[in-house]
Amino acid sequence: MDSIVASAADRRFALAVKLFLVVLAVIWLMPFVVILLTAIRSQGDMISNGVFSWPQAIAWQNFSNAWDAGNFSVYFRNSLFLILVKVPLGLLIAALAAYPLAKMQFRGSDAVFIFFLVGLAVPVQVTLQPLLVMMKSLGIGNTLWALIPPYLAFGLPFQIFVMRGFFRLLPNELIEAARVDGASETGIFFRIMLPLSLPPLATLAIIDALATWNEFLIALVLISANASRTVPIGLMQFQGQHSSQYTLLMAGVLISIIPVLLIFLFLQRYFIAGLAGSVKG
Amino acid sequence: MTLADSRATRARPRASAARQRRQRVLAAVRPWLFLAPALSLYLVFLVLPMLFTLYMSFFSWDGLSPLSERVFVGLGNYVRAFAEDDVSRRAFVNNLYWTAGAVIIPTVIGLLLAVALNSLTAVNRLLRTIYYAPAVLPLVAVGLIWGWMYNPNFGAVNLFLRWVGLDGLAGGWLSSHTMALPATFFTYVWSHVGFPMILYLAGLQSIPRELYEAARIDGASRWHCFRHITLPGLMETHVIVLSLAVINGFKVFDLIYTMTYGGPGRSTHVLGTWMYFQTFQYYEAGYGAALAWIIAAIVLVVAVPYIRRMSRD
Repeated sequence: MDSIVASAADRRFALAVKLFLVVLAVIWLMPFVVILLTAIRSQGDMISNGVFSWPQAIAWQNFSNAWDAGNFSVYFRNSLFLILVKVPLGLLIAALAAYPLAKMQFRGSDAVFIFFLVGLAVPVQVTLQPLLVMMKSLGIGNTLWALIPPYLAFGLPFQIFVMRGFFRLLPNELIEAARVDGASETGIFFRIMLPLSLPPLATLAIIDALATWNEFLIALVLISANASRTVPIGLMQFQGQHSSQYTLLMAGVLISIIPVLLIFLFLQRYFIAGLAGSVKG
Repeated sequence: MTLADSRATRARPRASAARQRRQRVLAAVRPWLFLAPALSLYLVFLVLPMLFTLYMSFFSWDGLSPLSERVFVGLGNYVRAFAEDDVSRRAFVNNLYWTAGAVIIPTVIGLLLAVALNSLTAVNRLLRTIYYAPAVLPLVAVGLIWGWMYNPNFGAVNLFLRWVGLDGLAGGWLSSHTMALPATFFTYVWSHVGFPMILYLAGLQSIPRELYEAARIDGASRWHCFRHITLPGLMETHVIVLSLAVINGFKVFDLIYTMTYGGPGRSTHVLGTWMYFQTFQYYEAGYGAALAWIIAAIVLVVAVPYIRRMSRD
């Protein structure tokens, strides 16, 4: 009797949970549906029939218009350039720093590690004005090069944290055996540690590429020249010029998010495991 | 001959002692050689600017004219932020609301989702993807998407409300003094709920299944299991999730900037946006520096347990 009651309650509970999950999923997907339904139709169609109606005709030209009017080719090139330079360079520097923190005994190693970890909490705002002045006096103000040093510096804490955690899991015997064979420390790092670290490096590269693509505030302050704008800054500019051309605007938004959505959908396995594992430590 | 021999045998230990010394020096220096690129970048482009901002927060300076034209004002900028400037006080309160919301709402939803989606079925994996997907978008795009969703005339939110007969609720979400901040916060929930979900999913893996089985045999209810096994078992994750919620609650910038630009009036400013406006629009770099350091000080204090947890082995 008891178990029958319980199982009926169980079933009702399970149903309520499923309902909650489905309703939430519909709400969570709705903005994607809305931008798609906005971006693929004409402005007139959207205004007279509403977003939720089926488009009278597919207006593919919205995408090419947005691409041209918004200068997206420039922004895409700039953001890609940043990713291609910043991500590998940052990971190399972080791995170099993580190696002694994980595998060498020296005074101050804990202090240095904590010093880096504090950077996880530093708000970008507290560096902006000096960075602007510095980049101007270095002669790289208003260029993409101005973004690379702060992006590197703000990326390091998390990457050093993850790489140190990973290096510590690698057996010390590997390093000792290589030393006995006469390998230099640099040789050990480049020929043993780095090749073994491809999984966490791949995860960090994906996370870092997304973060670089999405970064807004530093670029907003350091970049004002049209030729150096990144995708988020360019998108903001595009919005300023076409704020009431909703269909064109959403086509531009869609263009700017398709790369990150594709990376996420195809590589989410590495991505999510990495995010979770990194904080678990 | 013998002399040469003996000299050679005496020289060898001396040479190897020198080599050992060199090796020792090298061993002492080596970690710092590996650390040098990271440390120098971190010091020059993060720590140094931070300290310079702290220094500037005690001055009145426009950020444009030569540094020599700065005027020392002591704690004046901080007094102004807390006692004189209504907008900065409003911004601070908005940060508190935002942070309180960020601590409770995405955390609770993320925890519920993690518990509900813990088993690795195909449907669950799809649902995880759906809930997490907004988190990978640039916040500028998120802001523009929801700016359009909230559009008073053609936006999806109002269309939906009118369609279900709640015309009274349909309004200018982002232009309303009372609704602009909650509406922006809802967007934050949409875009951030995936983070606590993922972290809690990872945390759940560390709770042994046997605990639940034993509790079930003892006749414990579902709520009892959740209350006495799941919640305490996730203690480590709670620290991380809640610290990150507070840290990010005080750092918030992108969504406010893109969705309300601090308006209507100046009612939705947070410290992050107000600092930006003061420094780069009104050219009050000294005052902006003080606002930036108020954010930094709060965040760094809150981050202590988080950093302690991360540095533990």
